[in-house]
Amino acid sequence: MAAPDELFCWEGDWGLPSVSTDCLVVLAYAQFAGAPLKLRKICNPWRSPSGSLPALRTNQKKTLSRPSDIIVHLRKRKYNADYDLSAKEGADSLAFISLLEEKLIPALIYTFWVEPKNYVDVTRRWYAEHMMFPLNFFLPGRMQSRQLEKLRLLRGDENLEAGEELEKELYQDAAECMNLLSQRLGSQKFFFGDSPSSLDAYVFGHLAPILKCKLPNGKLQQHLKSLDNLSDFCSNILLLYFPRDGRAENSGEKASPQPDAADFDSVPNKRRKQFLSALFAFAAMLSYALLTGMVSVQHVHQEALEEPPDPEHIGSHEHEEEGDG
Amino acid sequence: MSLAAEAFVSQMAAAEPWPENATLYQPLKDDQILLSDHASSLAVQAYLRMCGLPVQVVCRANAEYMSPSGKIPFIHVGNQVVSELGPIVQFTKAKGHTLSDSLDDVQRAEMKAYMELVYNMLLTAELYVQWCDDATAAEISRPRYSSPYSWPLGKILAYQKQWEVRRKMNAVGWGGKSLEQVYEDVSQCCQALSQRLGTQPYFFNKQATELDALVFGHLFTILTTRLTSTELAERVKSYSNLLSFCRRIEQTYFEDKGS
Repeated sequence: MAAPDELFCWEGDWGLPSVSTDCLVVLAYAQFAGAPLKLRKICNPWRSPSGSLPALRTNQKKTLSRPSDIIVHLRKRKYNADYDLSAKEGADSLAFISLLEEKLIPALIYTFWVEPKNYVDVTRRWYAEHMMFPLNFFLPGRMQSRQLEKLRLLRGDENLEAGEELEKELYQDAAECMNLLSQRLGSQKFFFGDSPSSLDAYVFGHLAPILKCKLPNGKLQQHLKSLDNLSDFCSNILLLYFPRDGRAENSGEKASPQPDAADFDSVPNKRRKQFLSALFAFAAMLSYALLTGMVSVQHVHQEALEEPPDPEHIGSHEHEEEGDG
Repeated sequence: MSLAAEAFVSQMAAAEPWPENATLYQPLKDDQILLSDHASSLAVQAYLRMCGLPVQVVCRANAEYMSPSGKIPFIHVGNQVVSELGPIVQFTKAKGHTLSDSLDDVQRAEMKAYMELVYNMLLTAELYVQWCDDATAAEISRPRYSSPYSWPLGKILAYQKQWEVRRKMNAVGWGGKSLEQVYEDVSQCCQALSQRLGTQPYFFNKQATELDALVFGHLFTILTTRLTSTELAERVKSYSNLLSFCRRIEQTYFEDKGS
Protein backbone atom coordinates (compact mmCIF):
# COMPACT_ATOMS: atom_id res chain seq x y z
CA MET A 1 0.00 0.00 0.00
CA ALA A 2 1.10 3.53 -0.69
CA ALA A 3 2.34 5.81 2.04
CA PRO A 4 -0.43 7.16 4.30
CA ASP A 5 -1.76 10.68 3.87
CA GLU A 6 -0.27 13.33 6.06
CA LEU A 7 -2.56 15.44 8.23
CA PHE A 8 -1.30 18.77 9.57
CA CYS A 9 -3.21 20.28 12.47
CA TRP A 10 -2.92 22.57 15.46
CA GLU A 11 -1.42 21.20 18.65
CA GLY A 12 -3.74 20.19 21.45
CA ASP A 13 -4.26 21.55 24.91
CA TRP A 14 -6.92 21.68 27.65
CA GLY A 15 -7.28 17.90 27.32
CA LEU A 16 -8.21 18.14 23.63
CA PRO A 17 -6.28 16.59 20.73
CA SER A 18 -6.28 19.96 18.98
CA VAL A 19 -7.38 23.47 19.89
CA SER A 20 -9.02 24.31 16.58
CA THR A 21 -12.58 23.29 15.75
CA ASP A 22 -11.85 22.35 12.15
CA CYS A 23 -8.88 20.21 13.16
CA LEU A 24 -11.00 18.48 15.81
CA VAL A 25 -13.66 17.63 13.24
CA VAL A 26 -11.13 16.03 10.92
CA LEU A 27 -9.30 14.21 13.72
CA ALA A 28 -12.54 12.83 15.13
CA TYR A 29 -13.75 11.69 11.72
CA ALA A 30 -10.43 9.98 10.99
CA GLN A 31 -10.65 8.19 14.33
CA PHE A 32 -14.25 7.12 13.76
CA ALA A 33 -13.48 5.81 10.29
CA GLY A 34 -10.20 4.23 11.35
CA ALA A 35 -8.25 6.06 8.66
CA PRO A 36 -4.47 5.63 9.03
CA LEU A 37 -3.09 9.16 8.85
CA LYS A 38 0.38 10.37 9.57
CA LEU A 39 -0.40 13.06 12.10
CA ARG A 40 1.68 16.22 12.30
CA LYS A 41 0.73 18.46 15.19
CA ILE A 42 2.35 21.81 14.62
CA CYS A 43 2.03 25.35 15.89
CA ASN A 44 3.09 27.20 12.80
CA PRO A 45 0.47 27.48 10.07
CA TRP A 46 3.21 28.48 7.62
CA ARG A 47 4.67 25.01 7.80
CA SER A 48 1.44 23.50 6.54
CA PRO A 49 1.38 22.83 2.77
CA SER A 50 -1.71 25.02 2.26
CA GLY A 51 -0.69 27.81 4.63
CA SER A 52 -3.61 27.09 6.92
CA LEU A 53 -4.60 24.36 9.34
CA PRO A 54 -5.91 21.71 9.08
CA ALA A 55 -4.41 20.49 5.83
CA LEU A 56 -4.21 17.03 4.37
CA ARG A 57 -1.39 16.14 2.01
CA THR A 58 -2.48 13.08 0.08
CA ASN A 59 0.03 10.62 -1.24
CA GLN A 60 -0.52 12.06 -4.72
CA LYS A 61 0.84 15.32 -3.26
CA LYS A 62 -2.53 17.04 -3.48
CA THR A 63 -3.43 19.39 -0.64
CA LEU A 64 -6.90 19.72 0.89
CA SER A 65 -7.78 22.17 3.62
CA ARG A 66 -11.57 22.34 4.05
CA PRO A 67 -12.78 19.77 6.60
CA SER A 68 -15.61 18.71 4.29
CA ASP A 69 -13.17 18.15 1.41
CA ILE A 70 -10.92 16.09 3.65
CA ILE A 71 -13.86 13.98 4.79
CA VAL A 72 -14.97 13.43 1.19
CA HIS A 73 -11.43 12.40 0.29
CA LEU A 74 -11.28 9.92 3.18
CA ARG A 75 -14.66 8.56 2.15
CA LYS A 76 -13.35 7.97 -1.37
CA ARG A 77 -10.44 6.05 0.10
CA LYS A 78 -13.03 3.74 1.71
CA TYR A 79 -12.65 5.16 5.21
CA ASN A 80 -16.32 5.86 5.65
CA ALA A 81 -17.89 6.41 9.05
CA ASP A 82 -21.31 6.98 7.46
CA TYR A 83 -21.52 3.60 5.77
CA ASP A 84 -24.35 2.34 7.98
CA LEU A 85 -26.55 5.40 7.66
CA SER A 86 -29.80 5.24 5.73
CA ALA A 87 -30.44 7.88 3.07
CA LYS A 88 -32.73 9.75 5.44
CA GLU A 89 -30.12 9.74 8.18
CA GLY A 90 -27.60 11.07 5.68
CA ALA A 91 -30.02 13.89 4.90
CA ASP A 92 -30.46 14.61 8.61
CA SER A 93 -26.66 14.79 9.04
CA LEU A 94 -26.41 17.38 6.30
CA ALA A 95 -29.20 19.42 7.88
CA PHE A 96 -27.71 19.38 11.37
CA ILE A 97 -24.25 20.24 10.04
CA SER A 98 -25.84 23.30 8.38
CA LEU A 99 -27.48 24.16 11.69
CA LEU A 100 -24.05 24.12 13.37
CA GLU A 101 -22.51 26.26 10.67
CA GLU A 102 -25.24 28.86 10.72
CA LYS A 103 -25.96 29.12 14.43
CA LEU A 104 -22.98 27.92 16.43
CA ILE A 105 -19.98 29.12 14.44
CA PRO A 106 -20.76 32.84 14.85
CA ALA A 107 -20.97 32.37 18.63
CA LEU A 108 -17.76 30.31 18.63
CA ILE A 109 -15.90 33.02 16.74
CA TYR A 110 -17.28 35.60 19.11
CA THR A 111 -16.38 33.78 22.29
CA PHE A 112 -12.82 32.90 21.26
CA TRP A 113 -11.77 35.83 19.09
CA VAL A 114 -13.98 38.85 19.75
CA GLU A 115 -14.91 38.83 23.45
CA PRO A 116 -12.04 41.04 24.69
CA LYS A 117 -11.25 39.27 27.95
CA ASN A 118 -11.37 35.77 26.47
CA TYR A 119 -9.24 36.80 23.52
CA VAL A 120 -6.53 38.55 25.53
CA ASP A 121 -6.37 36.12 28.44
CA VAL A 122 -6.76 32.81 26.64
CA THR A 123 -6.79 32.75 22.85
CA ARG A 124 -4.05 35.24 22.05
CA ARG A 125 -1.99 34.04 24.96
CA TRP A 126 -2.21 30.42 23.88
CA TYR A 127 -1.25 31.11 20.28
CA ALA A 128 1.49 33.56 21.23
CA GLU A 129 3.04 31.11 23.68
CA HIS A 130 2.97 28.23 21.23
CA MET A 131 4.23 29.99 18.10
CA MET A 132 7.82 30.56 17.12
CA PHE A 133 9.56 33.81 18.01
CA PRO A 134 8.90 36.31 15.24
CA LEU A 135 5.47 34.88 14.34
CA ASN A 136 4.00 35.16 17.80
CA PHE A 137 3.99 38.95 17.55
CA PHE A 138 1.74 39.32 14.54
CA LEU A 139 0.07 36.02 13.63
CA PRO A 140 -2.43 35.92 16.53
CA GLY A 141 -3.53 39.44 15.67
CA ARG A 142 -3.85 38.56 12.00
CA MET A 143 -5.85 35.45 12.82
CA GLN A 144 -8.16 37.59 14.92
CA SER A 145 -8.78 40.14 12.20
CA ARG A 146 -9.56 37.33 9.77
CA GLN A 147 -12.07 35.80 12.17
CA LEU A 148 -13.62 39.18 12.83
CA GLU A 149 -13.98 39.74 9.09
CA LYS A 150 -15.64 36.36 8.78
CA LEU A 151 -18.12 37.15 11.55
CA ARG A 152 -18.93 40.48 9.90
CA LEU A 153 -19.63 38.88 6.56
CA LEU A 154 -21.62 36.04 8.07
CA ARG A 155 -23.90 38.51 9.77
CA GLY A 156 -23.89 40.98 6.90
CA ASP A 157 -23.11 43.72 9.38
CA GLU A 158 -20.31 46.11 8.45
CA ASN A 159 -19.78 47.89 11.74
CA LEU A 160 -19.78 45.05 14.17
CA GLU A 161 -18.48 45.64 17.67
CA ALA A 162 -18.02 43.51 20.72
CA GLY A 163 -20.79 44.40 23.08
CA GLU A 164 -23.54 43.08 25.23
CA GLU A 165 -26.20 43.23 22.56
CA LEU A 166 -24.24 41.30 19.96
CA GLU A 167 -23.12 38.80 22.59
CA LYS A 168 -26.66 38.19 23.77
CA GLU A 169 -27.93 37.69 20.25
CA LEU A 170 -25.18 35.27 19.25
CA TYR A 171 -25.33 33.34 22.51
CA GLN A 172 -29.09 33.05 22.20
CA ASP A 173 -28.70 31.46 18.77
CA ALA A 174 -25.97 29.17 20.05
CA ALA A 175 -27.97 28.13 23.09
CA GLU A 176 -30.95 27.35 20.89
CA CYS A 177 -28.72 25.31 18.60
CA MET A 178 -27.35 23.34 21.57
CA ASN A 179 -30.88 22.73 22.85
CA LEU A 180 -31.95 21.40 19.46
CA LEU A 181 -28.90 19.12 19.30
CA SER A 182 -29.57 17.89 22.80
CA GLN A 183 -33.18 17.12 21.89
CA ARG A 184 -32.09 15.28 18.77
CA LEU A 185 -29.48 13.27 20.64
CA GLY A 186 -31.88 12.27 23.39
CA SER A 187 -30.52 9.37 25.42
CA GLN A 188 -28.58 7.79 22.56
CA LYS A 189 -24.85 7.31 22.70
CA PHE A 190 -24.29 8.84 19.26
CA PHE A 191 -26.62 10.75 16.95
CA PHE A 192 -27.48 7.70 14.88
CA GLY A 193 -27.39 4.83 17.34
CA ASP A 194 -24.31 3.05 18.58
CA SER A 195 -21.63 3.96 16.07
CA PRO A 196 -20.31 7.46 15.42
CA SER A 197 -20.80 9.19 12.05
CA SER A 198 -19.63 12.40 10.43
CA LEU A 199 -22.33 14.39 12.25
CA ASP A 200 -20.89 13.21 15.56
CA ALA A 201 -17.48 14.40 14.41
CA TYR A 202 -18.86 17.85 13.55
CA VAL A 203 -20.79 18.22 16.79
CA PHE A 204 -17.80 17.04 18.82
CA GLY A 205 -15.47 19.45 17.02
CA HIS A 206 -17.71 22.42 17.71
CA LEU A 207 -18.69 21.64 21.29
CA ALA A 208 -15.54 20.16 22.79
CA PRO A 209 -13.56 23.45 22.83
CA ILE A 210 -16.48 25.16 24.58
CA LEU A 211 -16.62 22.37 27.13
CA LYS A 212 -12.91 22.06 27.83
CA CYS A 213 -11.47 25.53 27.52
CA LYS A 214 -11.56 27.61 30.69
CA LEU A 215 -12.55 31.06 29.51
CA PRO A 216 -13.06 34.10 31.75
CA ASN A 217 -16.44 34.64 30.10
CA GLY A 218 -17.86 31.13 30.12
CA LYS A 219 -21.55 31.61 29.41
CA LEU A 220 -21.58 29.13 26.55
CA GLN A 221 -19.79 26.58 28.71
CA GLN A 222 -22.34 27.03 31.48
CA HIS A 223 -25.14 26.40 29.05
CA LEU A 224 -23.46 23.36 27.56
CA LYS A 225 -22.80 21.90 31.02
CA SER A 226 -26.48 22.27 31.83
CA LEU A 227 -27.30 19.91 28.94
CA ASP A 228 -26.09 16.66 30.46
CA ASN A 229 -26.45 14.43 27.43
CA LEU A 230 -24.44 16.75 25.17
CA SER A 231 -21.58 17.26 27.60
CA ASP A 232 -21.49 13.52 28.33
CA PHE A 233 -21.42 12.93 24.58
CA CYS A 234 -18.26 15.06 24.25
CA SER A 235 -16.48 13.54 27.25
CA ASN A 236 -17.37 10.08 26.00
CA ILE A 237 -15.80 10.67 22.61
CA LEU A 238 -12.70 12.09 24.26
CA LEU A 239 -12.44 9.08 26.50
CA LEU A 240 -13.08 6.48 23.81
CA TYR A 241 -11.25 7.94 20.84
CA PHE A 242 -8.61 10.24 22.32
CA PRO A 243 -7.60 8.53 25.55
CA ARG A 244 -4.06 9.88 25.43
CA ASP A 245 -5.11 13.52 25.37
CA GLY A 246 -7.60 12.98 28.17
CA ARG A 247 -4.89 11.44 30.30
CA ALA A 248 -2.53 14.30 29.52
CA GLU A 249 -5.09 16.63 30.99
CA ASN A 250 -5.48 14.58 34.16
CA SER A 251 -1.77 14.37 34.79
CA GLY A 252 -1.67 18.02 33.81
CA GLU A 253 -3.83 18.91 36.74
CA LYS A 254 -1.52 17.10 39.12
CA ALA A 255 1.95 17.67 37.75
CA SER A 256 1.17 20.75 35.65
CA PRO A 257 3.04 19.97 32.44
CA GLN A 258 1.59 22.11 29.66
CA PRO A 259 0.11 25.47 30.56
CA ASP A 260 1.66 25.76 34.02
CA ALA A 261 4.98 24.46 32.79
CA ALA A 262 4.99 27.30 30.33
CA ASP A 263 4.49 29.66 33.26
CA PHE A 264 7.34 28.10 35.23
CA ASP A 265 9.58 28.32 32.20
CA SER A 266 8.69 31.85 31.49
CA VAL A 267 9.74 33.02 34.97
CA PRO A 268 13.45 32.19 34.65
CA ASN A 269 13.21 33.32 31.06
CA LYS A 270 11.92 36.62 32.32
CA ARG A 271 14.77 36.90 34.81
CA ARG A 272 17.29 36.17 32.13
CA LYS A 273 15.63 38.66 29.82
CA GLN A 274 15.60 41.30 32.54
CA PHE A 275 19.22 40.62 33.27
CA LEU A 276 20.14 40.74 29.59
CA SER A 277 18.27 43.95 28.99
CA ALA A 278 19.86 45.58 32.02
CA LEU A 279 23.24 44.43 30.77
CA PHE A 280 22.47 45.77 27.31
CA ALA A 281 21.39 49.14 28.70
CA PHE A 282 24.46 49.32 30.84
CA ALA A 283 26.69 48.48 27.90
CA ALA A 284 25.00 51.09 25.76
CA MET A 285 25.40 53.76 28.40
CA LEU A 286 29.00 52.84 28.93
CA SER A 287 29.85 52.92 25.24
CA TYR A 288 28.11 56.24 24.86
CA ALA A 289 30.07 57.58 27.76
CA LEU A 290 33.30 56.24 26.35
CA LEU A 291 32.64 57.69 22.91
CA THR A 292 31.68 61.15 24.03
CA GLY A 293 34.38 62.09 26.44
CA MET A 294 35.00 59.84 29.32
CA VAL A 295 37.93 58.26 27.53
CA SER A 296 39.96 60.32 29.97
CA VAL A 297 39.03 57.95 32.73
CA GLN A 298 41.10 55.29 31.04
CA HIS A 299 43.96 57.75 30.78
CA VAL A 300 43.68 58.53 34.42
CA HIS A 301 43.57 54.89 35.15
CA GLN A 302 46.72 54.16 33.18
CA GLU A 303 48.55 57.09 34.69
CA ALA A 304 47.16 56.20 38.05
CA LEU A 305 49.17 53.02 37.81
CA GLU A 306 52.30 55.03 37.22
CA GLU A 307 51.66 57.80 39.66
CA PRO A 308 49.65 57.86 42.85
CA PRO A 309 46.33 59.68 42.34
CA ASP A 310 46.27 63.34 43.00
CA PRO A 311 43.10 65.44 42.85
CA GLU A 312 44.90 68.36 41.22
CA HIS A 313 46.42 66.11 38.59
CA ILE A 314 43.16 64.62 37.58
CA GLY A 315 41.59 68.02 37.39
CA SER A 316 44.36 69.33 35.12
CA HIS A 317 44.20 66.20 32.97
CA GLU A 318 40.54 66.61 32.37
CA HIS A 319 41.21 70.17 31.46
CA GLU A 320 43.73 69.11 28.85
CA GLU A 321 41.35 66.54 27.40
CA GLU A 322 38.61 69.04 27.02
CA GLY A 323 40.98 71.37 25.34
CA ASP A 324 41.98 68.66 22.87
CA GLY A 325 38.41 67.69 22.07
CA MET B 1 -33.11 45.12 16.25
CA SER B 2 -31.97 44.87 19.84
CA LEU B 3 -33.28 42.15 22.08
CA ALA B 4 -35.07 44.53 24.42
CA ALA B 5 -36.75 46.15 21.44
CA GLU B 6 -37.61 42.72 20.11
CA ALA B 7 -39.26 41.70 23.37
CA PHE B 8 -41.18 44.96 23.39
CA VAL B 9 -42.29 44.46 19.81
CA SER B 10 -43.52 40.95 20.46
CA GLN B 11 -45.51 42.21 23.46
CA MET B 12 -47.03 44.92 21.34
CA ALA B 13 -47.70 42.41 18.62
CA ALA B 14 -49.55 40.11 20.97
CA ALA B 15 -51.88 42.93 21.92
CA GLU B 16 -53.09 43.74 18.42
CA PRO B 17 -54.82 41.41 15.96
CA TRP B 18 -53.52 41.03 12.39
CA PRO B 19 -54.71 44.08 10.44
CA GLU B 20 -56.29 43.97 7.00
CA ASN B 21 -53.79 46.35 5.47
CA ALA B 22 -50.55 44.43 6.15
CA THR B 23 -48.04 45.01 3.37
CA LEU B 24 -45.05 43.07 2.09
CA TYR B 25 -42.36 45.03 0.29
CA GLN B 26 -40.05 43.62 -2.36
CA PRO B 27 -38.05 45.00 -5.31
CA LEU B 28 -39.69 45.53 -8.71
CA LYS B 29 -40.96 42.22 -9.93
CA ASP B 30 -40.36 42.47 -13.67
CA ASP B 31 -37.15 44.44 -14.05
CA GLN B 32 -35.22 44.37 -10.82
CA ILE B 33 -35.69 41.47 -8.43
CA LEU B 34 -33.04 38.76 -8.43
CA LEU B 35 -33.43 35.03 -7.97
CA SER B 36 -32.40 34.87 -4.32
CA ASP B 37 -34.53 37.85 -3.26
CA HIS B 38 -37.51 36.53 -5.15
CA ALA B 39 -37.10 33.15 -3.45
CA SER B 40 -37.02 34.71 0.02
CA SER B 41 -40.00 36.90 -0.77
CA LEU B 42 -41.99 33.97 -2.11
CA ALA B 43 -41.16 31.95 0.99
CA VAL B 44 -42.60 34.66 3.24
CA GLN B 45 -45.71 34.98 1.06
CA ALA B 46 -46.23 31.23 1.17
CA TYR B 47 -45.80 31.23 4.94
CA LEU B 48 -48.35 34.01 5.45
CA ARG B 49 -50.82 32.27 3.14
CA MET B 50 -50.37 29.03 5.06
CA CYS B 51 -51.20 30.93 8.25
CA GLY B 52 -54.20 32.46 6.52
CA LEU B 53 -52.92 36.00 7.05
CA PRO B 54 -53.75 38.45 4.25
CA VAL B 55 -50.90 40.55 2.94
CA GLN B 56 -50.64 42.93 0.04
CA VAL B 57 -47.45 42.74 -2.04
CA VAL B 58 -45.96 46.10 -2.96
CA CYS B 59 -42.96 46.48 -5.29
CA ARG B 60 -40.55 49.30 -4.59
CA ALA B 61 -37.26 49.97 -6.33
CA ASN B 62 -35.60 50.89 -3.05
CA ALA B 63 -37.03 48.01 -0.98
CA GLU B 64 -33.51 46.89 0.00
CA TYR B 65 -32.81 50.27 1.59
CA MET B 66 -36.21 50.46 3.29
CA SER B 67 -35.72 47.14 5.08
CA PRO B 68 -34.54 47.42 8.69
CA SER B 69 -31.95 44.66 8.22
CA GLY B 70 -31.08 45.51 4.62
CA LYS B 71 -32.56 42.22 3.49
CA ILE B 72 -35.57 41.35 1.40
CA PRO B 73 -38.49 40.97 2.01
CA PHE B 74 -39.99 42.85 4.92
CA ILE B 75 -43.56 43.28 6.11
CA HIS B 76 -45.27 46.34 7.47
CA VAL B 77 -47.98 45.40 9.94
CA GLY B 78 -49.72 48.07 11.99
CA ASN B 79 -46.88 50.00 13.58
CA GLN B 80 -44.21 47.39 13.05
CA VAL B 81 -41.72 46.54 10.37
CA VAL B 82 -40.21 43.05 10.39
CA SER B 83 -37.78 41.60 7.84
CA GLU B 84 -36.81 38.06 6.81
CA LEU B 85 -38.60 34.77 7.37
CA GLY B 86 -37.14 33.85 10.80
CA PRO B 87 -38.21 37.06 12.59
CA ILE B 88 -41.53 37.10 10.72
CA VAL B 89 -42.28 33.60 12.01
CA GLN B 90 -41.51 34.82 15.55
CA PHE B 91 -43.67 37.86 15.00
CA THR B 92 -46.72 35.93 13.81
CA LYS B 93 -46.22 33.50 16.65
CA ALA B 94 -46.48 36.37 19.11
CA LYS B 95 -49.78 37.25 17.46
CA GLY B 96 -50.99 33.70 17.97
CA HIS B 97 -50.51 32.35 14.45
CA THR B 98 -48.17 29.41 14.21
CA LEU B 99 -47.78 26.31 12.07
CA SER B 100 -45.34 24.26 14.11
CA ASP B 101 -47.20 23.84 17.41
CA SER B 102 -48.20 20.27 16.78
CA LEU B 103 -44.59 19.09 16.34
CA ASP B 104 -42.73 17.39 19.17
CA ASP B 105 -39.26 18.47 20.32
CA VAL B 106 -37.30 16.21 17.99
CA GLN B 107 -39.38 17.21 14.99
CA ARG B 108 -38.97 20.87 15.81
CA ALA B 109 -35.21 20.37 16.05
CA GLU B 110 -35.24 18.67 12.66
CA MET B 111 -37.38 21.39 11.14
CA LYS B 112 -34.95 24.09 12.31
CA ALA B 113 -32.02 22.05 11.03
CA TYR B 114 -33.54 21.62 7.57
CA MET B 115 -34.34 25.32 7.41
CA GLU B 116 -30.68 26.04 8.08
CA LEU B 117 -29.79 23.54 5.37
CA VAL B 118 -31.80 25.59 2.86
CA TYR B 119 -30.12 28.82 3.96
CA ASN B 120 -26.69 27.27 4.10
CA MET B 121 -26.73 25.51 0.75
CA LEU B 122 -29.57 26.63 -1.53
CA LEU B 123 -29.47 30.32 -0.71
CA THR B 124 -25.67 30.41 -0.81
CA ALA B 125 -25.70 28.57 -4.14
CA GLU B 126 -28.22 31.05 -5.56
CA LEU B 127 -26.03 33.94 -4.48
CA TYR B 128 -22.99 32.21 -5.95
CA VAL B 129 -24.62 31.65 -9.33
CA GLN B 130 -25.97 35.20 -9.41
CA TRP B 131 -22.83 37.07 -8.52
CA CYS B 132 -19.82 34.78 -8.86
CA ASP B 133 -20.60 33.20 -12.22
CA ASP B 134 -19.29 35.85 -14.60
CA ALA B 135 -21.77 35.20 -17.40
CA THR B 136 -24.82 35.39 -15.12
CA ALA B 137 -23.49 38.42 -13.27
CA ALA B 138 -22.80 40.34 -16.49
CA GLU B 139 -25.94 39.39 -18.39
CA ILE B 140 -28.56 39.23 -15.65
CA SER B 141 -27.60 40.24 -12.12
CA ARG B 142 -25.77 43.51 -12.66
CA PRO B 143 -28.16 44.97 -15.29
CA ARG B 144 -31.23 44.00 -13.27
CA TYR B 145 -29.80 45.17 -9.96
CA SER B 146 -28.87 48.57 -11.40
CA SER B 147 -32.03 49.02 -13.53
CA PRO B 148 -33.77 51.66 -11.34
CA TYR B 149 -30.70 53.90 -11.15
CA SER B 150 -29.10 56.20 -13.71
CA TRP B 151 -25.76 55.45 -15.32
CA PRO B 152 -22.84 55.90 -12.96
CA LEU B 153 -24.74 55.14 -9.76
CA GLY B 154 -26.24 51.87 -11.00
CA LYS B 155 -22.85 50.54 -12.08
CA ILE B 156 -21.25 51.49 -8.80
CA LEU B 157 -23.98 49.93 -6.68
CA ALA B 158 -24.00 46.72 -8.71
CA TYR B 159 -20.24 46.27 -8.50
CA GLN B 160 -20.34 47.08 -4.80
CA LYS B 161 -22.95 44.39 -4.25
CA GLN B 162 -20.99 41.88 -6.29
CA TRP B 163 -17.83 42.64 -4.35
CA GLU B 164 -19.66 42.18 -1.06
CA VAL B 165 -21.17 38.83 -2.07
CA ARG B 166 -17.80 37.58 -3.29
CA ARG B 167 -16.19 38.49 0.02
CA LYS B 168 -18.94 36.62 1.79
CA MET B 169 -18.33 33.56 -0.39
CA ASN B 170 -14.67 33.65 0.58
CA ALA B 171 -15.59 33.91 4.24
CA VAL B 172 -17.84 30.83 4.14
CA GLY B 173 -15.25 28.88 2.15
CA TRP B 174 -17.13 28.90 -1.15
CA GLY B 175 -14.69 31.27 -2.82
CA GLY B 176 -12.57 28.50 -4.26
CA LYS B 177 -15.47 26.44 -5.57
CA SER B 178 -16.14 26.01 -9.26
CA LEU B 179 -19.61 26.35 -10.74
CA GLU B 180 -19.74 22.60 -11.19
CA GLN B 181 -19.05 22.03 -7.49
CA VAL B 182 -21.82 24.47 -6.57
CA TYR B 183 -24.30 22.58 -8.78
CA GLU B 184 -23.13 19.41 -7.07
CA ASP B 185 -23.91 20.99 -3.68
CA VAL B 186 -27.38 21.95 -4.91
CA SER B 187 -27.95 18.35 -5.97
CA GLN B 188 -26.79 17.15 -2.58
CA CYS B 189 -29.15 19.54 -0.82
CA CYS B 190 -32.09 18.55 -3.04
CA GLN B 191 -31.26 14.90 -2.48
CA ALA B 192 -31.44 15.46 1.28
CA LEU B 193 -34.73 17.37 1.03
CA SER B 194 -36.17 14.72 -1.28
CA GLN B 195 -35.18 11.95 1.13
CA ARG B 196 -36.70 13.79 4.03
CA LEU B 197 -39.94 14.46 2.15
CA GLY B 198 -40.33 10.92 0.89
CA THR B 199 -43.92 10.29 -0.16
CA GLN B 200 -45.50 12.64 2.39
CA PRO B 201 -47.52 15.62 1.21
CA TYR B 202 -45.52 17.99 3.46
CA PHE B 203 -42.24 17.65 5.35
CA PHE B 204 -44.02 16.82 8.60
CA ASN B 205 -46.84 14.82 7.08
CA LYS B 206 -50.25 16.51 6.84
CA GLN B 207 -49.49 19.88 8.36
CA ALA B 208 -47.60 22.53 6.35
CA THR B 209 -44.90 24.29 8.41
CA GLU B 210 -42.51 27.18 7.84
CA LEU B 211 -40.03 24.67 6.42
CA ASP B 212 -42.47 23.86 3.62
CA ALA B 213 -42.88 27.56 2.90
CA LEU B 214 -39.12 28.08 2.77
CA VAL B 215 -38.42 25.09 0.55
CA PHE B 216 -41.28 26.01 -1.75
CA GLY B 217 -40.07 29.60 -2.08
CA HIS B 218 -36.60 28.55 -3.14
CA LEU B 219 -37.37 25.56 -5.34
CA PHE B 220 -40.29 27.20 -7.12
CA THR B 221 -38.20 30.26 -7.89
CA ILE B 222 -35.30 28.17 -9.16
CA LEU B 223 -37.67 26.21 -11.39
CA THR B 224 -39.43 29.23 -12.86
CA THR B 225 -36.58 31.72 -13.29
CA ARG B 226 -34.69 31.94 -16.55
CA LEU B 227 -30.92 32.20 -16.11
CA THR B 228 -28.10 32.03 -18.63
CA SER B 229 -27.97 28.30 -18.15
CA THR B 230 -30.77 25.93 -17.16
CA GLU B 231 -28.41 23.74 -15.15
CA LEU B 232 -29.68 24.93 -11.74
CA ALA B 233 -33.31 24.11 -12.62
CA GLU B 234 -32.27 20.80 -14.18
CA ARG B 235 -30.66 19.73 -10.94
CA VAL B 236 -33.92 20.35 -9.07
CA LYS B 237 -36.05 18.73 -11.76
CA SER B 238 -34.44 15.34 -11.29
CA TYR B 239 -36.29 14.93 -7.96
CA SER B 240 -39.88 14.17 -8.87
CA ASN B 241 -41.30 14.29 -5.35
CA LEU B 242 -39.93 17.83 -4.90
CA LEU B 243 -41.58 18.87 -8.16
CA SER B 244 -44.97 17.54 -7.13
CA PHE B 245 -44.45 19.14 -3.70
CA CYS B 246 -44.01 22.54 -5.37
CA ARG B 247 -47.04 21.99 -7.58
CA ARG B 248 -49.12 20.95 -4.57
CA ILE B 249 -48.30 24.08 -2.58
CA GLU B 250 -48.81 26.29 -5.60
CA GLN B 251 -52.25 24.79 -6.19
CA THR B 252 -53.32 24.80 -2.55
CA TYR B 253 -52.16 28.22 -1.52
CA PHE B 254 -51.69 30.33 -4.61
CA GLU B 255 -54.17 29.37 -7.29
CA ASP B 256 -57.32 29.39 -5.15
CA LYS B 257 -56.67 32.94 -4.08
CA GLY B 258 -55.87 34.08 -7.57
CA SER B 259 -59.09 32.84 -9.09
